[in-house]
Amino acid sequence: MNALVKTENHAKQEIKYSTCYMCACRCGIKVTLEEGKVRFIQGNRNHPTNQGVLCAKGSAGIMKQYSQAKLRKPLIRKEGSERGEGAFEEIEWDQALDILTARLEKIRSTDPKKLAFFTGRDQMQALTGLWAQQFGTPNWAAHGGFCSVNMAAAGLYSIGFSFWEFGAPDWDYAKYFIMWGVAEDHSSNPIKIGLEKLKRHGGKFVSVNPVRTGYSAIADEWVPIRPGMDGLFALSIVHVLLSRELFDYEFLLRYTNSPWLVVQTPGQKGDGLFLRDEAGNPLVWDLEKQAFVSGMDANITPAMFGEFVAPDGRKVKTVMSVAAEEYLDDRYAPENVAEQCGVSAETIERVALEMAEVAFRETVEFDIEWTDVWGRKHDKVVGRPVAMYAMRGIAAHSNGFQACRAIHLIQMLLGALDGPGNFRARAPYPKPIPPHQLPENNLDIINAPNTSLSRPPLGFPTKPEDLVIDKDGNPVRIDKAYSWEIPFASHGLMHMVITNATRQDPYPIDTLILFMANMAWNSTMNTKNVQGMLREKDENGNYKIPFLVVADAFHSEMTNFADLIFPDTTYLERYDTISLLDRPISEPDAAADAIRHPLVGQERDVRPWQEVLVELASRLKFPAFTKEDGSRKFSGYKDFIVNYERMPGIGFLAGWRGKDGSKSLKGEPNPNQWEKYIENQSFFAHHWPDNQKYMRYANKDYLEVAADAGFVGKVEPIIMQIYSEPLQKFRLAARGLYDGPQPPQQVDRERISKYFDPMPVWYEPLEMQRVDEKEYPFHALTQRPMLMYHSWDSQNVWLRQILAQNYFYMNAGQAERMGLKDYDWVWVESHNGKIRVQLKTMEGCQENTVWTWNAIGKQGGAWGLTADASEAKKGFLLNHLISELLPPKQGERRITNSDPVTGQAAWFDLRVKVYKAAPGEQGSWPQFPPLKPLPGDSGERPDVLRYNARSDSKE
Amino acid sequence: MRLGLVIDLDVCVGCHACAVSCKQWNASGTTGALTDYDPYGAEPSGVWFNRIRHFEVGTYPESKTINFPMSCMHCEDADCVTVCPTGASYKRAEDGIVLVDQRKCMGCNYCSWACPYGARELDRESGTMKKCTLCVDRIYDQEIPVEERQPACVLTCPAHARMFGDFDDQQSAVSRAVRERGGYQLLPELGYNPTNHYLPVRKHKPIETEGLGKPGFKERLKGLANRVVKI
Amino acid sequence: MHPAFSVIFFTVTSGAGLGLFALLYLVDVFKLGGGVSPDQVLSIGILSLIMVAAGLMSSVFHLANPVNAWRAFSRYRTSWLSREGVFAMAFYPFAMLYIGFTAWDASYFDTSRKLAGAVGLLLAWITIFSTGMIYGCLKTIRQWNTPLVPLNYLLLGHMSGAMILLAMTAGSEGMNNALRGIVLMLLVVAAAMKGVYYYWIGYPRAMGSTINTATGFTRAKVKILDQGHTHGTFLTQEFGYQVSRQLTWLLKAVVFAAAFVLPILLLAGVLGGASAGGAVALVLFGLVVERWLFFAEARHVINLFHGAQRC
Ligand SMILES: Nc1nc2c(c(=O)[nH]1)N[C@H]1C(S)=C(S)[C@@H](COP(=O)(O)OP(=O)(O)OC[C@H]3O[C@@H](n4cnc5c(=O)[nH]c(N)nc54)[C@H](O)[C@@H]3O)O[C@H]1N2
Ligand SMILES: Nc1nc2c(c(=O)[nH]1)N[C@H]1C(S)=C(S)[C@@H](COP(=O)(O)OP(=O)(O)OC[C@H]3O[C@@H](n4cnc5c(=O)[nH]c(N)nc54)[C@H](O)[C@@H]3O)O[C@H]1N2
Ligand code: SF4
Ligand code: SF4
Ligand code: SF4
Ligand code: SF4
Ligand code: SF4
Ligand SMILES: [Mo]
Repeated sequence: MNALVKTENHAKQEIKYSTCYMCACRCGIKVTLEEGKVRFIQGNRNHPTNQGVLCAKGSAGIMKQYSQAKLRKPLIRKEGSERGEGAFEEIEWDQALDILTARLEKIRSTDPKKLAFFTGRDQMQALTGLWAQQFGTPNWAAHGGFCSVNMAAAGLYSIGFSFWEFGAPDWDYAKYFIMWGVAEDHSSNPIKIGLEKLKRHGGKFVSVNPVRTGYSAIADEWVPIRPGMDGLFALSIVHVLLSRELFDYEFLLRYTNSPWLVVQTPGQKGDGLFLRDEAGNPLVWDLEKQAFVSGMDANITPAMFGEFVAPDGRKVKTVMSVAAEEYLDDRYAPENVAEQCGVSAETIERVALEMAEVAFRETVEFDIEWTDVWGRKHDKVVGRPVAMYAMRGIAAHSNGFQACRAIHLIQMLLGALDGPGNFRARAPYPKPIPPHQLPENNLDIINAPNTSLSRPPLGFPTKPEDLVIDKDGNPVRIDKAYSWEIPFASHGLMHMVITNATRQDPYPIDTLILFMANMAWNSTMNTKNVQGMLREKDENGNYKIPFLVVADAFHSEMTNFADLIFPDTTYLERYDTISLLDRPISEPDAAADAIRHPLVGQERDVRPWQEVLVELASRLKFPAFTKEDGSRKFSGYKDFIVNYERMPGIGFLAGWRGKDGSKSLKGEPNPNQWEKYIENQSFFAHHWPDNQKYMRYANKDYLEVAADAGFVGKVEPIIMQIYSEPLQKFRLAARGLYDGPQPPQQVDRERISKYFDPMPVWYEPLEMQRVDEKEYPFHALTQRPMLMYHSWDSQNVWLRQILAQNYFYMNAGQAERMGLKDYDWVWVESHNGKIRVQLKTMEGCQENTVWTWNAIGKQGGAWGLTADASEAKKGFLLNHLISELLPPKQGERRITNSDPVTGQAAWFDLRVKVYKAAPGEQGSWPQFPPLKPLPGDSGERPDVLRYNARSDSKE
Repeated sequence: MRLGLVIDLDVCVGCHACAVSCKQWNASGTTGALTDYDPYGAEPSGVWFNRIRHFEVGTYPESKTINFPMSCMHCEDADCVTVCPTGASYKRAEDGIVLVDQRKCMGCNYCSWACPYGARELDRESGTMKKCTLCVDRIYDQEIPVEERQPACVLTCPAHARMFGDFDDQQSAVSRAVRERGGYQLLPELGYNPTNHYLPVRKHKPIETEGLGKPGFKERLKGLANRVVKI
Repeated sequence: MHPAFSVIFFTVTSGAGLGLFALLYLVDVFKLGGGVSPDQVLSIGILSLIMVAAGLMSSVFHLANPVNAWRAFSRYRTSWLSREGVFAMAFYPFAMLYIGFTAWDASYFDTSRKLAGAVGLLLAWITIFSTGMIYGCLKTIRQWNTPLVPLNYLLLGHMSGAMILLAMTAGSEGMNNALRGIVLMLLVVAAAMKGVYYYWIGYPRAMGSTINTATGFTRAKVKILDQGHTHGTFLTQEFGYQVSRQLTWLLKAVVFAAAFVLPILLLAGVLGGASAGGAVALVLFGLVVERWLFFAEARHVINLFHGAQRC
């Protein structure tokens, strides 16, 4: 070896394992430290999530750690200064905690719902949710409502697990993979690992996406669909499958509600509900017995198709008959939807047939013995190796819930769920459909001072009685979740909080705590006006949102608006859990959770928000955090994690439980749990034995473990719901055919009646229904760049070199026809406003679609950057154009621009027009006054940076 | 030995992980630091050894997007070495790795002119030319686990689109991949004989669906369509 | 290619200096137009040495790490840049010997004087040729990878050198006509060759490198979607330089006017009172523009990876 090449001096180095937090994928990292400085962050080869690889963000963690935007000390808005002016004073931690405790004590002892606590991209919802529940406010949610609740809800109301983070494609055995509207996803590295595996094995990868970049770039087939049309496309596939009898009888009859009988009494109460026996069991028609029998029984032979007359004389028909009637209709024929979808009839039919071919003629079989939940033994597992995955391209439309249900319908028809080669569940999923958890809606409890909620603020309603509304039918939550406007808002509507609170609709609040959400910038719709709302005052000169607390680690646009700032640590500086009670990091073959622990020291006066929450909970004497004698139960976060039990034996961490650490998933607290995790490279994985890996919705051995571990309530079959009765109940209420609450306002009756179809349907996205397609001819979208996480990564010196300005992309042919060319400045206008942006043309973009990278545009001075950073001067946010409210309609209250079922923010429904800027009109618009440097920051930035962690290196 | 990389264009998703990991490793590596200019300012820039470009081939709707990572190709006939007046640039006889001796380089840029692949970047602060070292300070480090004695970019690539190995060894994974997948060199007409190879896009064979399913179920449904399945 | 002023200054000045020396020697030895006086050899010779030195110094300014400049002499076996340095250095003792002997006026050393000068002449030629070959040998730049490049460097060096010689020898009685003839001849030939060069680079070879050969996608149109960095990099700064066609044409006109046509007219006395000094200024200015264009018009193949369709 050449003498010149010096390898490292390992004597000076230390290797530690933790979990990445440059995004929500939560990969395992192996961190090499050299005399306390981060030398190298690489993927942990043993980690189930990333198996050794690491993405660009993860590899740039060093530059996040050494960011100039890190907060240094608690800050309070300077007395006499205006909110948003950026004038802050440093205060001590005790002061900050005292101020907030006093405020919260007052709220809690008067009207607890005057506290709204909303969290963004956080990975500790189990803790923040528990905290809110203990406080007693219903006004808590994480980012799911503006993120992808459509996927979660559609899955949890249909198949028991879902896209998003509750399932993953079986990359090892899939032979056909169809990806709907995904640019990057939470499973960032696993998808990349998986796509390569799939292609290496010769599987076919089809991407349905208006834009061809990233994953779509490597697709074997690209389907440039028109935005918002996937539901129609999917249902046309259903049409093709049904019309050729290409569906899996056994799967449908065993594992779905396809044979259940639906009552057919149009215009009467009970119409569209399942025919049930006394005990409430759904009935089916038994072909052998020629009688109605409970669909929950074993040893029956249910009829898949047919109309029958129930003993009480009502007409009933099977779910599959309803489906056949609906989807065999010519309006779903490929040739009749092709133009609207922007996909040729030939392609629709071919994709449908290719999937069926692979599902039915290229099955995979394993000799695995397993027992079904009815107790029968099977000697093999058969996989129909078609896998799917879908995300925000489906979710972020106001028809996304139903579109996603349509995709699940295809999976059910093909019998391609949780088998080898399928989309498979990740523990703690599958769960009962929907999960047995209702949102707190007892007004007495909600309104009671100093009282915790009896159950979490969020859950899954199944009937109108489950809504969180007052006696007049008005919303009780500040985001109006679980009101008639959005009945199934399982993740809340974070994107409505500031608007509603400012309008004091349904009521004024006192304090808003935002944790890890940049709601004054990229994670809000209508950014410019929302900034205005944060400053808005009433006639007495008081802020409409009286007190705004922000818990953040960095100098973001949001912190600028805070009255009180709690500075957080970075991911390399704190203890943290990635819990199975939360959004799991499990893989289909293993239940898994993970931790973080401090790897580097921190020289600032900052504290983990986890610690702050436990501290506040103790000061406020939340029951779960307080001993009988009134003293605090947990010394801090570490102690809390070890000793808190949600149910006996079940806590935040599933590994090394039991006094001696010998138990998994369930067991008494283990005082050495953290040490055990650290020893095991900061993660825990419980690998499922072969007999528990597949068909877990009906796998006895699996369900027994799941019940024991608290994943499911009891061992019973999880029957997938093609036809969703909860939806129908709401529809009946809207139509006045329900004995129970009914929507008082006409607009809600219409919306629910139309959109709460118990069968997957397609309808035109709501904004599109209200704006003139001729005037606003383009669909405007965003995509996540693989190397940037929302707003965080512009502070990262390495990543911003790759992407410091986002362009506005348009199909090249289209641009040419419009006389536009690369680097032209153009105006983009929606019903909500206009922005000026710089254009680039490309081939791989559907002709009616324009798009840009999400969250690259920044407010000057934020994120430790200088005011003239190109992120601020040339980069832009599409969000200014997106309204959180639908365009107004006469005689109707303003309604959220969200999916009418789930409240999912409809980011991608946006329609715009594009025209060339006048000569001389350059730079992005609107521009905002730059943020002032925070106390302790001179605002000076070095001209060069020469990071080098090697202690022996000099040049 | 002839060490180098194979890049699989069929699976590269253009995530820039390899570029950033390379930056990370080498910032504190043999030729570190790798200076960043205007890091927090208007026009950030810096020294990188590996850059990912993105191309489009063909026109809409038949267009294909190609993500295209490029680093030093460790050419057999490396003019960057022959033109270097100081001898700072050299190609190692034992494994073909092309390196720049930071102690000898005078920063004349000449070698970068001779490189067709944009593999060399001058560090204005040190005044020296820098380039991909093929992670020579990893691959021979006897103190790290064997499976980690790979370039940082290869280890990190989430799509496993990068392979490292010996092209002189006909049995090596890289040699086999190039043989089996039709691996090719960039700008072959210039005669540099680059060691790194690129694997072209795979063509998926059409899926035959002949005779699949019986059309006309809508009609059949009027009669008896049920199958007896015991639950 | 990014036109760096130091390199422009270096090549123009040292080229002219070496050309000046070459002509000085030839005029002296072959007594062209009556030859030159020892005093003139001394002053003009020193000027040529200063010019060469100034050029070389300026090229050192171009280095990012000049402390290692001395190492540049080590790779003369393979590197034209190294060779240029070595030959330029080798040129000095011989040129100085020649100038020294001449100034000393020791007639019994005449053979040695001439011999030293001849060696100096040869080394000057080789040095200019090497300078040309620094560029000419690069396969990465089509516009440079041609024998026309060293030929141009030789011609332009001699032309400008001759011009200076003419100006320096012009006394109160005016220019030396024989010398003027040589200069005019050099101007015409150099102009013609420059014309040939401009013509040649205007017609890319059919087989040259394209974005297709660069990426390997040879059967369809290839376009850049994103370079992978928002702002400039070393590569775009060094190689991305582009001039508009109009400016190119304009500057070529300036080159021809300033470096060739006006000096010819001036020397031919067509423009009234012939002034060699003015002609020198014009030529040097013209050559600076010529050298600027030489860089600015050169398209390195790396541009293919930044979206250029061909180079
Ligand atoms: N136009 C458009 N807008 C969108 C989207 C889109 O696709 N298009 N996507 C939407 C979606 S799905 C989402 S999820 C949202 C995301 O929006 P957000 O949840 O707001 O995400 P971030 O921009 O990542 O900002 C979160 C905040 O977390 C802070 N932070 C980072 N690390 C830490 C830490 O360790 N501790 C603390 N306390 N704070 C930290 C950051 O400084 C930042 O201020 O954006 C939404 N907005
Ligand atoms: N690198 C990186 N990774 C991230 C994030 C990040 O910011 N950066 N954010 C994380 C978060 S919070 C989330 S929610 C996930 C989201 O991950 P993704 O779901 O991948 O989110 P987007 O980038 O919004 O991608 C949406 C895709 O849908 C396409 N699309 C838009 N409309 C339609 C349509 O109507 N039909 C179809 N078929 N496609 C459509 C768009 O072109 C785009 O490719 O990513 C997570 N991972
Ligand atoms: S995908 Fe990247 S940023 Fe996200 S956790 Fe994994 S390595 Fe970190
Ligand atoms: S890391 Fe792999 S997939 Fe990502 S850009 Fe590099 S080669 Fe491509
Ligand atoms: S790629 Fe460039 S730097 Fe690397 S060996 Fe080849 S010519 Fe030299
Ligand atoms: S820059 Fe350095 S390595 Fe390159 S040719 Fe000059 S001396 Fe050699
Ligand atoms: S081999 Fe090493 S130096 Fe070369 S590109 Fe990969 S990571 Fe960078
Ligand atoms: Mo999200």
